Amino acid sequence: MLAVEHLRGSNGDDRDGTAMGHFSADDFADEALQLGDINFSDLFLGLDDGDVLPDLELDSEIFAEFSAAGVLEDTGAVTAGEAEQATTTTTTQDAAEVMDLEKLGASATTTTTTTTTTSTTAPSDARRLATAAHDDGNKGRKSSAAAKGSQGKRKAKVDWTPELHRRFVQAVEQLGIDKAVPSRILELMGIDCLTRHNIASHLQKYRSHRKHLLAREAEAASWSQRRRQMFTDGAKRPVDVNVHPWLAGAAPAIGILTPPPSAAVVPPLMRVPLHVWGHPTPEAPPPLLHYVWPRRPNTWPPQPPQDPSFWHHHYQRGGGEGWINPQAMMTNAAPCFAPARFVAPPVQGIVYRPPVPHPRPMSKNCSSQVQLDAHPSKECIDEAIGDVMEKPWLPLPLGLKPPSLDSVLVELEKEGVSLVP
Amino acid sequence: MGDSSSPTSYIRMVQHLIEKCLLFHMSKDESMEALSKHANIKPVITATVWSELEKENKEFFEDYSKNREKSVREMRTMQMIRTMLMEIASEYPDKSEEED
Repeated sequence: MLAVEHLRGSNGDDRDGTAMGHFSADDFADEALQLGDINFSDLFLGLDDGDVLPDLELDSEIFAEFSAAGVLEDTGAVTAGEAEQATTTTTTQDAAEVMDLEKLGASATTTTTTTTTTSTTAPSDARRLATAAHDDGNKGRKSSAAAKGSQGKRKAKVDWTPELHRRFVQAVEQLGIDKAVPSRILELMGIDCLTRHNIASHLQKYRSHRKHLLAREAEAASWSQRRRQMFTDGAKRPVDVNVHPWLAGAAPAIGILTPPPSAAVVPPLMRVPLHVWGHPTPEAPPPLLHYVWPRRPNTWPPQPPQDPSFWHHHYQRGGGEGWINPQAMMTNAAPCFAPARFVAPPVQGIVYRPPVPHPRPMSKNCSSQVQLDAHPSKECIDEAIGDVMEKPWLPLPLGLKPPSLDSVLVELEKEGVSLVP
Repeated sequence: MGDSSSPTSYIRMVQHLIEKCLLFHMSKDESMEALSKHANIKPVITATVWSELEKENKEFFEDYSKNREKSVREMRTMQMIRTMLMEIASEYPDKSEEED
């Protein structure tokens, strides 16, 4: 299966890697079906010798390359013996595929001990494949596969380290994202262990990720506009521009950013953020709008969905530099664009239970303390923390982008800490 | 920690707690101490999650620390003023009733 994928993959290279990675087991399965349908007895009719392959053209160059490539290393001398024998009996390019599938056949049927003279299975595989593989496509694939056989592997598994990826991105940007062709990229990177195939598939992923990022950037840009609008429109009093948004006291921010569906009452007061903290209003996702995070409609994709998360995980470990270009990174990290978690009352599908309406005795004092005190009192901290522990379903007050789970766990491992829940 | 049933939710909880601390303009060390004292969370865990959050939200934390100094000073000043005013007010309890 691997062999076939590789072969087809090489063909895909010639199509500039646009169709990479789409070949699945199904392709091979189809072929396998055909193989299975072949009547073997018919195959052998015209043959005198059990192990003479039908008259086919020899392409010894390709063949030699394949042998040299160490492709045969798994089946060792036996296959090599087969190879020699096949050479003498004139094989085609099909022999390349023969070798591949022989390997498979050999491993599958454990005929590794067959000798050159008595091996019926392997050559029969060969013949089977020779017949079945008469599609033109196969030939084309095989020749390019054989040409690439210098790797000695079917498809080298490339570990895209951040460093490697960085060079990749460099090369791509040098060429221009549209003109970036796997072969040129390979040249620019100048790394031996990479095949065009690897590059092509990586390029495809990179392109799709870029699109995703650009889309988000665009959305983020439009959000920053709206945020600025909100900030100026909503302020009931002139905003002190010298004061950083966080210090601006609760009210201007609250005045601006009260979530429309819930609290109709906007506490328009300067200093005391009423009812923000332990407010018993059932519907309120705690407005907690001391910080000027814009509310976002749920169109913003929650941060680690399936595909981007793959990238985040992978590149977070390496410091996350190679992947996201700095601009996008800044945009992503921009606190203004908090993920949807900040908004939605039903956070991530958690059932929202209205907080039990027994406001803590300290709540008013504590909520004002949030803004105003350099050293919040122990009781206030305790209350806030207790709140979190009791009501974990509450949305996060700041809606910061959550860290990647993997990197946290890795870090903790380093410290020798295990999270035993 | 009764309801943290998995590392994921535990980490989320820690993040939540850290965010609460951020609302109090606390520093990383202060947060570590608070969470350790009040929520029995090992400081190393708090520190790790804090660092990771910082990585993910670089701009936020940059601004945060830049302004923390300033805001802490301001808040202390305000607190001092308030305290002073209260003291003064309490010294003259009848002031408001004076007719003069």
